[in-house]
Amino acid sequence: MKLTIEHLSKQYRRDFWGLRDFDIELTPGVIGLLGPNGAGKSTLMRMLATITRPTSGSIRWNDTDIVTSPDDLRAVLGYLPQDFGVYPNLTGLEFLEYMAAIKGLDAPSARRRIDELLVLVNLVHAAKRPLAGYSGGMKQRVGIAQALLNDPQLLIVDEPTVGLDPEERVRFRNLLSDLSGERIIILSTHIVSDVEATATEIVVINKGCKLRHGTPENLVRMLEGKVWQWMIPSAELSAIKQKYVISGIVRRDNCIQVRAVSESAPSSDAQSIAPTLEDAYLSFVAQNGIRQ
Amino acid sequence: MNNLRILYHMMRADFLERTRRYSFLVMLALVMWIGYLSASGQFRMRVPPDHIGIVNSAWVGATMTITVTLLLGWLGFYLVKGSVSRDYETGVGQIMATTPLSRRLYMLGKWLSNFAVLAIMILIMMLEGILMNLTVGVEGMDLLALSAPLLFIALPCMAVVAAVAVLFESVSWLRGGLGNVIYFFTFLAALISTDITAVGNPEKTNNPYVDVAGWRIIGESVSRAAHAAYPNSAGGFAFSITNLKSAKLFYWSGMIWTTDIFLSRLFFMLIAIGVVMLASLLFDRFNPSRVLPNKKRKQSSLRESALETESAPVSQVHLAPLTGTQRRFHFDALLIGELTLLLKGQRWWWYSVAIILIVVEVFSDVEITRLLLVLSWTWPILILSGLGCRESRHNTGQIVFSAPRPLVYQLSASWIAAFAVLAVIGSGALLRFLIAGEILSIMGWMTGVLFIPSLAVALGVLTRSNKSFEVLYVLWMYMLAQKAALFDFMRMLPESHWYFYALIAPALCLTAAFARQRQLMKG
Repeated sequence: MKLTIEHLSKQYRRDFWGLRDFDIELTPGVIGLLGPNGAGKSTLMRMLATITRPTSGSIRWNDTDIVTSPDDLRAVLGYLPQDFGVYPNLTGLEFLEYMAAIKGLDAPSARRRIDELLVLVNLVHAAKRPLAGYSGGMKQRVGIAQALLNDPQLLIVDEPTVGLDPEERVRFRNLLSDLSGERIIILSTHIVSDVEATATEIVVINKGCKLRHGTPENLVRMLEGKVWQWMIPSAELSAIKQKYVISGIVRRDNCIQVRAVSESAPSSDAQSIAPTLEDAYLSFVAQNGIRQ
Repeated sequence: MNNLRILYHMMRADFLERTRRYSFLVMLALVMWIGYLSASGQFRMRVPPDHIGIVNSAWVGATMTITVTLLLGWLGFYLVKGSVSRDYETGVGQIMATTPLSRRLYMLGKWLSNFAVLAIMILIMMLEGILMNLTVGVEGMDLLALSAPLLFIALPCMAVVAAVAVLFESVSWLRGGLGNVIYFFTFLAALISTDITAVGNPEKTNNPYVDVAGWRIIGESVSRAAHAAYPNSAGGFAFSITNLKSAKLFYWSGMIWTTDIFLSRLFFMLIAIGVVMLASLLFDRFNPSRVLPNKKRKQSSLRESALETESAPVSQVHLAPLTGTQRRFHFDALLIGELTLLLKGQRWWWYSVAIILIVVEVFSDVEITRLLLVLSWTWPILILSGLGCRESRHNTGQIVFSAPRPLVYQLSASWIAAFAVLAVIGSGALLRFLIAGEILSIMGWMTGVLFIPSLAVALGVLTRSNKSFEVLYVLWMYMLAQKAALFDFMRMLPESHWYFYALIAPALCLTAAFARQRQLMKG
């Protein structure tokens, strides 16, 4: 099972590329897509989910080109878009039954699967109520359930934890880890902790281009000896921000404890500390600059 | 001063948002085309039987005014309605609700932007009329005679249309498709109250205070001029787009603007402001708690259960893997899903009316049954209008279209579901035709159940909106009830070419399929 992306590009306007010359080969596991807003994550996700056609390049699912034959992938695809709606007059159960029919599940399998998923996303008690009365978090959980209906081999989830409370968020992360055995899961987010907890591989993306690709450990290792922590007077903060990539600040009395990425010690009293994925991510994006 | 600034910016933002939409350009093109037909004398206003005015500035201005009040008075409502709904849907309304913006000011802003959109079309039409008059006019240009009817008659009419659009948006049950249908009949009633057939009849007095479209004001003046030239003229006035071979020309110098006319037009401006004030009283200011009591109870019980659910203990669940055969496509399941989507949410009285119509059709005279069938097939208008555009309206497109073969499976299933609903709802008439041995009526019935869902799917996919079908279909069925042969797809009238629609139906389905395919390709 593999998903191969070669020279993938999406041009929206003459002078604006959503994604440019993107290459990657994915095998089973959880792949975290990290990038700032507007980096091109959702563009990539929509092309992988066969919603948007690329301007150039290819996407192959087990050597089948999904641009020309999207149905081969669609049969085994689960997709949770970042922004989606539901039919307000249907109950949660009816909506999932409808989605199961659209995905081609037979009635007994659909019923069993929906029962399992309702328990999994904690919506058993609300299943027979109209979706119009669901909270944002509950709708998000319906979205998660529909993405898992057909036991997908490729699961694409775009900002899945938006609207979930902390408990549900942890539950969803665990669910992704449990599901990751024999399928490819692509998780897009800008919340580093979500990726850190679940991803076996991370792709950092910015301005429509791939910046880094590796395991979380490898990406963090790239910053060994480059993350520093020291105290500064409050007045110096803006000057420090100009000079270094700041990954954290904590106010203490009249001073500020700064955490920053730098090739060498920024101050004589700066201490080298263990890097985190957040340090690495901020550093990679800062080196590349933010898209205007 | 601050309020004026707020009003200006609300109107500006809303105006820009709307004039950058495709629908605005389509309507503008339509208005310009109508303007061209009017100014070039192809769209004729005549005093029966065959008296028409010489094409001069006054005649062009009056013809343009009547055509534009008809076109924008009806379609303009649908064009401008939706700005408050958009604020609900996008959440911008909730942000506005947290500002000191008052309900009255908000509604005034919406009205002004509605009015500006309609007024700009009239002004463009006026410029077109001036240009046409300068180039093809047989007499010299009289700017006042051309522009005054548009400014003093059409603009106040547009002010009322803009205000009614705001009013409909401030009442939750008028905000959707039902409001679209109700407006059609409201507009029709307003035109009928004008009673243009009585123009020139001294026994019937002209009340300009019910003449929102201003048709009778113009008609009276034109009719008088025709009568002066040809004392045998029948009075009243009509439209014609065909050439009258033996037309008798008369000279009309334009309206005589009396104080009474000005006061009546001012009255409609005040009515418009009054309607906006009423709308501001009814408007809930994006407060979800200001809903009907039973709806409120339902929602609060939902919230309670939501809380209960959200705090429920977490259990370990095992997801059983699915095999390939379990994933094989089953059309029957999808069809049931589409039927559920169509019918879910309808109240008991909706089904009651549908059943009563079916039963009454069986036991009525065949002629009455035909009329009842028109009503039966109009009844599910709000259900049918969701076909082809439901995914856009509810933002489910990304989920639905990432499933296998969305074009072949989902679109065809939704068409068949609508076909089934129409067949059931028209089954009383079918049975009656079978009993009466009306073979042609049975074939007309079959054409109807093929044509209606095809039209709905095609319009839904092409426009991605339910509005277009609601607007066109209600007019269509009204014309059918009026026995207009051109609109007859169900063989109500022996002289109609109903069988054409049996050919148009598959063409509409193909159009819908091509359009959906393009949408899927473009993403």
